Amino acid sequence: MSKRVKLTAIGLIAAFTLSACSNTGPANTNSGSTPPASGNTNTTEQVAVDPFAKYEEPVTVSLGRSIDPNYKYEGSDTAEDNLYTRWLKDTYNIVINHEWEAATGDYAQKVSLAIGSNDLPDAMLVDESQLRQMVKADQLADLTEVYEQHGTERLKQIYDSNPGLLESVTFDGKLYALPETTLPSAPLTWIRKDWMDELGLSEPKSLEDLEAIAQAFIDNNMGGPNTVGVVGTQQGGSLYSTFLSSSDHYMNLSPVFFAKDAYPGIWIEDENGQATYGSTTENTKQALTTLRDWYAKGILDREVGLRKSSQELLTSGQAGIFFGPWWSPYNLMDSIKNDDQANWRPYAAPLNEEQQFNSNQATGSTFIVVKKSFKNPEAIIKMLNIHVNEKQESYKEAVGKEMTSQEIPLFLIMGLGDQLEYAVKTTQKVLTGELELEEVDKANYGFTYEIASHVKEIKTEPFDNYDIQYWDKETNPDFFPHVYSHLNGGSTFVDADIQWTRSLATAQTKTMQSRWSNLKKLEDEIFLKIIMGSAPLEEFDTFVEKWNQQGGKDITAEVNELK
Amino acid sequence: MLNRGAYKHYYVMLLPGLIWLFFFNLLPMYGVLMAFKDFNPGLGIMKSDWIGLENFKYMFQLDDSRQVFQNTIFIAALKMAGNLITPLIFALMLNEVKNRLFTRSVQTIVYLPHFLSWVIVAGIMLDILSYTGPVNQVLAMFGSEPILFFANERIFPWMVVLSDVWKEFGFAAIIFFAALTSINPEMYEAAAIDGASQFKRLLHITLPSVIPVAILLGTLSLGNVLNAGFDQIFNLYNPSVYSTGDIIDTWVYRAGLLDMQYGLATAVGLLKSVVGLVLIAISYTLAYRFANYRIF
Repeated sequence: MSKRVKLTAIGLIAAFTLSACSNTGPANTNSGSTPPASGNTNTTEQVAVDPFAKYEEPVTVSLGRSIDPNYKYEGSDTAEDNLYTRWLKDTYNIVINHEWEAATGDYAQKVSLAIGSNDLPDAMLVDESQLRQMVKADQLADLTEVYEQHGTERLKQIYDSNPGLLESVTFDGKLYALPETTLPSAPLTWIRKDWMDELGLSEPKSLEDLEAIAQAFIDNNMGGPNTVGVVGTQQGGSLYSTFLSSSDHYMNLSPVFFAKDAYPGIWIEDENGQATYGSTTENTKQALTTLRDWYAKGILDREVGLRKSSQELLTSGQAGIFFGPWWSPYNLMDSIKNDDQANWRPYAAPLNEEQQFNSNQATGSTFIVVKKSFKNPEAIIKMLNIHVNEKQESYKEAVGKEMTSQEIPLFLIMGLGDQLEYAVKTTQKVLTGELELEEVDKANYGFTYEIASHVKEIKTEPFDNYDIQYWDKETNPDFFPHVYSHLNGGSTFVDADIQWTRSLATAQTKTMQSRWSNLKKLEDEIFLKIIMGSAPLEEFDTFVEKWNQQGGKDITAEVNELK
Repeated sequence: MLNRGAYKHYYVMLLPGLIWLFFFNLLPMYGVLMAFKDFNPGLGIMKSDWIGLENFKYMFQLDDSRQVFQNTIFIAALKMAGNLITPLIFALMLNEVKNRLFTRSVQTIVYLPHFLSWVIVAGIMLDILSYTGPVNQVLAMFGSEPILFFANERIFPWMVVLSDVWKEFGFAAIIFFAALTSINPEMYEAAAIDGASQFKRLLHITLPSVIPVAILLGTLSLGNVLNAGFDQIFNLYNPSVYSTGDIIDTWVYRAGLLDMQYGLATAVGLLKSVVGLVLIAISYTLAYRFANYRIF
């Protein structure tokens, strides 16, 4: 659920980050410089290739695709056959064929299965661990040359503006994947401000403030007799974002750890500059102590880790506090629909003792990979070109509306590094009239232009107050989630002074491959037990000892070599 | 010796089953090689390097594996016992009720849960037994603190067994009902004339008649002693009950599919299969000895 909305949301930003000043004109089907449909990987001399040329013969690209089962396509369209894919076929002769489809939640598993059985589609989206596994297994096509030859100016410009991105997917000098340009994200604390106002509470700064607010919500039965103070992780979820899976901190407990200067799940430097695993530090123990205390007092959801859906608590109005990134409002639409007083506001809190707001930098990202034996790797580059450049005339006629990750095959978030900040600031200025709509840099920030052009229909006065009563939800319900998320969530995030910590390792090292599932089990089990009070706090020290014994020590040494 | 021609049509009828067995059970067996290899998906099973018993050695080094095997056997054994005794008692009790309409409807109702998938049943269970759910509300009336049934290591395996028995006993009872209807009513009449009470009739006629069926079912289920039910536990468990609730299949799932340790996961799975095979062989021998039941 969360991942879907995030993808759709951020996806739109990307879809609109289109260049108007691209030098490359629309494809000319009669162009004499059209390269042959296949075999141009071995072109030795640099022929000027038209990156938008239409194939003479249809080229079929088979994909493994993640499908959101709840997404509503237009008419009888599907992920495989929709406005976008038909246009792709008509204009470029690229035929999309789904080798398999998996629901969003099962996708990672299905990819692992495809890797393990070496039964791969021509191209698909994978995560970092899977990418490395595939590189190791020598399953991937070397994209260095096709990227050089067929990538458009625009595509290269995007990657160049995100330094280090292509280097991270280059192994032994070979480019093996096309990475996403991830938007930064930190978990904010989301609180029902209408409840706070009713009880005369002020916004939280510290963990203690947050605890007091949660306690007040519970004592006053703000969400009915079973009010849940702070929403926790659901069944199968992780207590915090790790270096292998970030899920953007949505509905986990990361902020409590950050407020104690603890970074569980990632690799950090200790005071001596040595790599150390964040989950084994004293600070993490402190944070667990707080969570354990919250759980005992009934402030933290008693069913943390057991609940089938934590989202349910928000929708039903049973809880008033959760942690999530700036885009969380995309997932709050049901809550607002059920209760139009539900005034969710984000806070860059809780702060640590030095009054700083900490976060780890989400490392999760998505990569396009191409099967080694695929005959037309340039078709994949071409698809990405089409995705990031301004579409040719036929697009307006054939598609003409916003497409999401559900329609666009091999969808990646592609954009310049500062797009969120630009979107928020510019939209604010357009709203107050400080900036004319025409002044928005439509070429580089297409989605900002879209948001800015709708903002006046949606945001009512006062413009600097984002409480729910000052919004018009009815006039343009399609754009409401976008504008609401960007202004309500985005602005708080962009304005926050965040102290970032990045993981020293972002993929599995050699020893991890054999030991990690065991170590992770150890960690997940003992942390949840400590929080729920079914294991004494001292078990943490036993955990650290065991963790080091069972391979953690060797892994730490490997990570030390990495940096 | 025998006129083989007369049996021809039986062999034809057997064919679809054999084809299925070949493609889905025999053919995939070569994947077992992965347990002895450093499996690299790019090279495929054949070309990956042999590493002998490395995966097995590592498996026995892990603290996890012993615990996981213990959990599996514990849960599976309790389930076997529960799924044998509960339906037997239930069938015997219902057999004493003479109202046909009543027995029929009860039978139908109790076997319905069998057809629900664990995803659904687990959702219902988690709701009913949640912190503020109906069960804890009732407990609260008696002054008890709410219990988180699925987050308590001691209770969890029992909840697994109980919910499984609840879901399956109705269906398992069908076999016992069949056995009960095949008892010759004349025996009851004769016993009644001889002055046997209803309880005596149950003890000396009904019970001895269904015991062979019970023994047969019991021995046949021995082969499942390492199958503790993946779908069920996967939908019910969480990290805080790993110590008693993590079973071989859930462990293999996490190691193999989520962490891509193909070789290790295959080794554990293979060990499970080998133990299962041995147990099946034993159970068939026992079934032949005690219930005079043979397949071959």
